[in-house]
Amino acid sequence: MFNVNVSQLGSVVVKTSEQGGLSNEQIADLAVEKIASVSEDAPSHLKQQAKLFKEQLKGIIHHYLLLARKEERGTIIQALRSSGHKEMAEYIRRL
Amino acid sequence: MAIAQAMCTSFKKELLEGVHNFKNSGGDTFKLALFAEGSGGKSSTTATLGATTTALVTTGEVASSGTYATGGGTLTRVDPSTSGTTAITDFADLSFTTATITAMGALIYNSSDSNKAVAVLDFTSNKTSTAGTFTIQFPTADASNAIIRIA
Repeated sequence: MFNVNVSQLGSVVVKTSEQGGLSNEQIADLAVEKIASVSEDAPSHLKQQAKLFKEQLKGIIHHYLLLARKEERGTIIQALRSSGHKEMAEYIRRL
Repeated sequence: MAIAQAMCTSFKKELLEGVHNFKNSGGDTFKLALFAEGSGGKSSTTATLGATTTALVTTGEVASSGTYATGGGTLTRVDPSTSGTTAITDFADLSFTTATITAMGALIYNSSDSNKAVAVLDFTSNKTSTAGTFTIQFPTADASNAIIRIA
């Protein structure tokens, strides 16, 4: 006799925002959850190690997210300036 | 609880009948619809979802807003695979933007086959976006965490 257990359903993570998109912090959290996960049944010392690793990982991802957004904004600002939209470029620079 | 996380019982039977195809190429179309308890739903209706849900229902579904349209968003399938002795399948994360939504849970269903229910997701508390982004992230696709596992 085989016991096939299909009643195993994972848990989703929901992130929401107000008046705009997700923050760098929220996106970093999403990335970390995708990269590093630990089973709820794992021993406590493994959970602790995973928690520390995730904190370090989040810091690195957050840093590069900020950099990516800053660099993309710089590219957009330059493109707007080059096409004569200086006011809009200034507006985006101040965001 | 009006929304209780569960793999739908009808889905388990339908798996044995070969009803659902989760393959990335040529598989069925699976959707995720959002539901509310209380005033968050359309016409202030409350969703009742759980293991006994057999198909998409409209009671308690959140109203269209931003990129969310009633019936929900289409999920991008990830080919089923194995992890150890466990078979798993996964979906890409799903986001609705510029949306004002309050949802307590979601229903994954097969829109290629009479909107048959797959699983009910319970967010455990109301999640709200206001003119913003509502993102559902699926868990890591491994034997311990994947959204759908056959062990």
